[in-house]
Amino acid sequence: MAVESTNLEPKGIQGLGKAIKRKEDPRFIVGKGNYLDDINLPGMLHMALVHSPYAHAKILSIDTSEALKIPGVKAVITSKELAGASLAWVPTLAGDKQMVLADGKVLYQYQEVAAVFAETRQAAADGAAAVQVDYEPLDVVVDPFKATDEGAPVLREDIKGNMKGAHGPRRHDNHIWTWDVGSKDETEKALAQSEVRIKQHMVYPRSHPAPLEPCGCIGDMNKATGRLTVYMTSQAPHAIRTVLSLVTGIPENNIRVISPDIGGGFGNKVPVYPGYVCAIVGSIVLGAPVKWVETRTENLTTTGFARDYHMDIEIGATKEGKVTAMKVYTLADHGAFDAAADPSKYPAGLFSICTGSYDFQKAYAQVEAVYTNKAPGGVAYRCSFRVTEASYLIERSMDVLAHELKMDPAELRLKNFIQPSQFPYPSALGWTYDSGDYEKTLKVALDKIGYAELRKEQAEKRAKGELMGIGISTFTEIVGAGPSKDFDILGIKMFDGAEIRVHPSGSAIVRAGTRHQGQGHETTWAQIVSEELGLDVDKIIVEEGDTDTAPYGLGTYASRSTPTAGGAMALGARRIREKAKKIAAHLMEVGESDVEWADKKFVVKGVPGKSVTMNEVAFAAYTNLPPGLEPGLETTYYYDPPNLTFPHGAYICVVDVDKGTGEVKVRRFVAIDDCGTIINPMIVEGQVHGGLTEGYAMAFMQEIAFDEQGNHLSSNFTDYLLPTSLETPKWETGHTVTPSPHHPIGAKGVGESPTVGSPAAFVNAVVDALAHLGVRHIDMPVTREKVWKVLRQAGVDSF
Amino acid sequence: MKLEYSGQEKVQASPETVWGFIQDPNKVASCLPDLKSVDIKDDKNMVATVGVAVGPVRGSFKFNIELDPRPEENKMMVRIRGGGLGSAVDLTASADISGQADQTTLLDWNGVASVSGPAATVGGRVLDAQAKRLIETVFANMGKKMSEA
Repeated sequence: MAVESTNLEPKGIQGLGKAIKRKEDPRFIVGKGNYLDDINLPGMLHMALVHSPYAHAKILSIDTSEALKIPGVKAVITSKELAGASLAWVPTLAGDKQMVLADGKVLYQYQEVAAVFAETRQAAADGAAAVQVDYEPLDVVVDPFKATDEGAPVLREDIKGNMKGAHGPRRHDNHIWTWDVGSKDETEKALAQSEVRIKQHMVYPRSHPAPLEPCGCIGDMNKATGRLTVYMTSQAPHAIRTVLSLVTGIPENNIRVISPDIGGGFGNKVPVYPGYVCAIVGSIVLGAPVKWVETRTENLTTTGFARDYHMDIEIGATKEGKVTAMKVYTLADHGAFDAAADPSKYPAGLFSICTGSYDFQKAYAQVEAVYTNKAPGGVAYRCSFRVTEASYLIERSMDVLAHELKMDPAELRLKNFIQPSQFPYPSALGWTYDSGDYEKTLKVALDKIGYAELRKEQAEKRAKGELMGIGISTFTEIVGAGPSKDFDILGIKMFDGAEIRVHPSGSAIVRAGTRHQGQGHETTWAQIVSEELGLDVDKIIVEEGDTDTAPYGLGTYASRSTPTAGGAMALGARRIREKAKKIAAHLMEVGESDVEWADKKFVVKGVPGKSVTMNEVAFAAYTNLPPGLEPGLETTYYYDPPNLTFPHGAYICVVDVDKGTGEVKVRRFVAIDDCGTIINPMIVEGQVHGGLTEGYAMAFMQEIAFDEQGNHLSSNFTDYLLPTSLETPKWETGHTVTPSPHHPIGAKGVGESPTVGSPAAFVNAVVDALAHLGVRHIDMPVTREKVWKVLRQAGVDSF
Repeated sequence: MKLEYSGQEKVQASPETVWGFIQDPNKVASCLPDLKSVDIKDDKNMVATVGVAVGPVRGSFKFNIELDPRPEENKMMVRIRGGGLGSAVDLTASADISGQADQTTLLDWNGVASVSGPAATVGGRVLDAQAKRLIETVFANMGKKMSEA
C-alpha cells in the first residue's frame, strides 16, 4: 500500500498511522540546521592530524620542529605526550584497546600519528604536512586468510604472546577470538543425513557508511569551572559521556556532551575515534576550545568500516526442499584493533539470526576474528549488529539451494517459512522471534510484482538469448537491543529513557536518550505522545542529544530507537495519563473508577457528553489539583524491553542484464516491509527508500579495497561510489502489519530493514538472470566488469 | 602500490662518458625533472626536492638518493627513498651498462618502486602514466646531457 500522496500538516492531535510532514524539516530546508561545523566558539583552535602512508611500519622518529615554525601553529602532540596523560591507548567497545596516536609503530595506512593545533584550519593542515616522520616499513597482512599463517608478521606487539583474549583464548598473535553458537555435533549429523546438501563461499565485502557529514567534535574545557563540554557528532552521547569520564578521570557531572544536528550516521558515529580524544586533550592542555572536523578521506580511511565477513555455509534439505540443517563458518577481518561496536556478550553481534525466516531444526555458526593491517571498525552500518551479513548469507543461500533443487526460489521459501502459529518461535540458534507472517508478506510482494507473468517473460527472453533475472529476499531482522539480561555495552544496560513534561497550557517538551540523524524522531516521538495523551502534535517539542537535559539512554543505531525509547515514550505517557485520570475525576466531580480514556479524552462511563481534555487536565495540574496530589504533570520513564523485535519483509527485484557490456539495469524493485505498528507511514517509506538505495550501492558499487601493500584504494568519492538519483532505481513499497506482541505500541523498528534485506534481492536477481548458464554465485559488488567476465567465461556472445 | 618497469636506452656517448656522468651526483640531479633544490651529501648521496603532481596530489617530495656504482659488474644501482604530503616512495633501480660497436652505450635497466599514501590511493589511476613519463624524461635528459659532454 503506497502512502497517501498528500501528507498532512503536523497540526492537531495526530497519533499513530498518520503521514504527517516531519516537524524537523523546515529548519533543514531553510538551511538553519545546526551541525557540528556550524558551531564556532570564542578563541577556538583547530586541529589537523598527521597520517601514516604505510600500512605497517616502525616509527623511527617524529620531528615536529618544522611544524611548530608555521605561523599560527600552537602545539603538536604525539603518543609520547598522550602517554603522560595515560591516554596513549584507550579501551575499545569490543574489549580490546587501541592506540590514540601511533605508539612506536603504525598498523594501517592513514593511522593517526600526530595532532597539530593551530589558530586556523589552514595553519593546522600546513602544520600537519610539515611534521616529519621517519618510518621503517614492515611486512603487511592484508588477506585475512593469511593472518594466522605460521610466520605471519605479528601486528599487535602489545599483546604478543598473550593468548588470553577478551572473548576467550587466542590461537595466534593475529587471532582475536572464536565465537560459536548452536550444536555442532547435532548439526553435522543432520547434514550428513540430508538428501541434498549445498555449500557456498561468499564474501560480504568491507564497506563504509560514508555519512555525508563526516565526524567531528569540539572539546571545550573551561578551566575556571573544571567543566568539559564536548560537542560531538555522536549517535550515543550519553554512552560517550560515561566513556569519557572513565577514560579521562573527569567526574561525569563535569562532562556535558552535546550532539547537535547530525548529517547521517549509519553506525559510523557510534565509536570513540582518536580525533575526538586528541581534540579534548588539546583543549585541556591549551585551555581553549579545539575543533576537529574530518576530511572525506579521513572518514573513509580511519573511522568505523562495516562488514568484511568471509562466509562459508552448508545447508541440508530433503529432495522435496524442506531444509534440515545449517552450518556456517565465518572469518571476520577486524583490522588492526578489535573496535567492533557490538553488545559486550556478542562479539559477532547478532549474526546468529542467520537461520532467517526459515524453520531450521539444527544449526551451528562459528565466527573467527583476526587482525590485519587495515583500519579498525566493524560498526553496524545501518544494521543491527551483523544482521546484514547474516541476512545476505541466508537469502543468497536459499537461492543457491533452489538452484540445486531446480525449484522456484519463491516456492522453496514458502515451503520453509516459520508459520504464524509457531510464534513465539525459538530458533535453533537461541532467539525467540516475537511475531511474523512471512507467507502473507511474500504473497503481497509476489502479487504486486506479477511474479508468474515475470517468470513467463523470463522464459521467453531466455529462448531469444536475452538475460533477465528475478531475485527474492524474504528476510527477518532482529532489532531493538536490548533487554538488559543479555545486552550491555561496557556494562551499561541497553535500555533507553524518555522524559515528558506537560506544561499548564497543554503543550509539552519530550526528551529521549536516543539521538536521531535523520530518522524523524522529532515527529514520531511527538506522534506517540499525541496518541497517548491527546495533545496537539504541533505543541510537542522533541529534544535529544544534550546529556545535561535528556534522560540517559544508549543512543540511536541498530533500529533500536522505536523498540526502546519509543516504548519508554508510550509507557511514560501512560504513567502521566494515570495521574491525569485522578485530576480528570476531580474536575468532573466523579470517582476515579468512573473515568475512562476514550477517543483521546477522559469521559465518564455511561454519561455521554461529559468529558475533559488533556489540555484542561494539564491546566488543572498546576492550578486546581485534588487534595493531596503532587502538582505538575511530568515523568521520566526508562524502558527495559522484555525481548528484541523481529521485523521482516519480502523484497523482489527484476533486472535486465546487457550481455555485451555486463551492465545490470534494475527494472523493478518491490519492497513489502512488516515493521509492526506504523507510527508515520511517510517516514517509514522515506526510511525504506534510503535503505534500499544504500543496499543498491553495496550490491553494485561499493567496496573498501586494499592493494597487496595495504594501500587504501577507496579513500574518496571517485573510488568509493555513492549512488545519485541517476543510478537509483524506482522503489515500489508497501507493507503488512504484524504488531510486536511485547512492545507497548506493537512497533518493531524499520530503519535498517531495507539495507539488511535488499542486497540479497539484487544479487539473487543477477545470478538468476545467468543461472541457466551455470552461474551460481557472484560476490558483491556486482560490477559491470565482474558480470562481463562471468558472461565471457560462460561463452556468451556479446551480440 | 608496487610499480615495476624495465627497458633499454641507447645513449649517444661512450661507456666511459656514461660512467663518468652517472657517478657525479650533481650531473645525475640535473636530469631530474622539476628539481627544486639538491643537497649533495657526498659522492654517493644526495637529498633532492622535486615538484610532484600525481592526480590531485601536488607539491614537493623530498628524496634521499643513493648512487651505488658497481663498475666491476658493469652495473649501476640507485636507491631512492622519501616522499611528501603524507605519501612515501621507495625505489630501487639498476642498469647494466654495455658499450656498443658504434661507440654508443646501451643501458639495460629495471626499477621496482613501492608507493604508499595518497599518491597511491588517490593518484593511483594516473600514477603508472606519470611514472612512465618521469622515467622517459630522466633518460631523455641524461641522453641529451651525456651526448653534450
